[in-house]
Amino acid sequence: MHVYIYDEFLNKTKHSRAINRLEIRLTDLGLNGKIIRLGGIKNIKGTIQNEIKLGAKTIIAVGNNQTVNKIMGAIIDTEIYGDFQKKTLLGLIPVGDDNSIASTFGIKNIEEACNILLARRVEKIDLGLVGSYYFLNQASIQSQGTTLEIDDYSLEMSEKGEVRIINLLSDQKETIKSNPHDGKLDILIRTRRRDESIITVKKLKIINPQEKLIIDGVLEINTPVEIGIMRDKVNVIVGKDRLFE
Amino acid sequence: MFNKENKLERFKDAETIIGASIKVKGNFQGQGNIIIEGMLEGSVKTEADLFIGENAKIIANVESKDASVNGEVNGNLKIHGYLALGGTAKITGDIQYKELSIERGATINGQLLILSESDRHRENKKPEDKNVETER
Repeated sequence: MHVYIYDEFLNKTKHSRAINRLEIRLTDLGLNGKIIRLGGIKNIKGTIQNEIKLGAKTIIAVGNNQTVNKIMGAIIDTEIYGDFQKKTLLGLIPVGDDNSIASTFGIKNIEEACNILLARRVEKIDLGLVGSYYFLNQASIQSQGTTLEIDDYSLEMSEKGEVRIINLLSDQKETIKSNPHDGKLDILIRTRRRDESIITVKKLKIINPQEKLIIDGVLEINTPVEIGIMRDKVNVIVGKDRLFE
Repeated sequence: MFNKENKLERFKDAETIIGASIKVKGNFQGQGNIIIEGMLEGSVKTEADLFIGENAKIIANVESKDASVNGEVNGNLKIHGYLALGGTAKITGDIQYKELSIERGATINGQLLILSESDRHRENKKPEDKNVETER
């Protein structure tokens, strides 16, 4: 059974045409399923967990990066995770802005997303872990004043720029190759004078008293915080134009 | 082997790049190629190749397979293969190497010691000895 999780922001009228288009397309392809609208639901975690317990074969996040994060947050490290990993696939249908996760999986728009759901091409993906939060793409922070503690050494940055801790690359133009199946995170530090640093690690601690760490572009958290990776944690339905092997 | 022309090619293969604005403190270890353009204090060791850029400043003992040094190193170098010292290299410390080339302009303040076959054999037989670093 397909379970479509509609994020709260889709209640806005500006998205109603997109949702109508989506529902017509899903009907045409025979992909109908149960729809859960997060708007008005207080216990989001409980609702999602209940659907998996009831035997959902595919949980489909309809919305943006934040929608995916909400679903991940409801599943990982809970008693239903074992069932989810064995029996349930995660699908994405991007609507609105902030859809870098869907882009990474080769899903650019609603129509493509429906075709990809039908094709059911599945990849096991690592999941980044920041404290009690999870990320598929990346966590990022301003570089100035940031210290990274890794194994037996530390990295200090004094120039303005950005530090990105990448699990799954969202930008095809990037020079680095990031592999979401290798159980490692790639650190990319780029300062304003185009100075570039690249380090691959399994875990690190990130410290910057002045700046917040941004997870998948939507969630801000304070540092210091430890970042790690969990290997092959999620089964995701992906497109053939995904940005990884 | 290194030369100025192949630096760009290797740059693509490097597993680790420490940019010019980064300061590393501690014992930095890797298995792949490492490029250092910034500052490093502590020690650096890789089983693969190491490139030290012109503006890099290393206050550390250094160990790698092949290496190209173009910046400043205050510490001992142990290079198990080929070591290329560029014209801008400034080394204060002892250097152990298998093969060596020195470009005009490079300065060395320390001893040059060839790693003999027996040294390398001994290291292969007793891997625990590999981590022993010369006191500076």
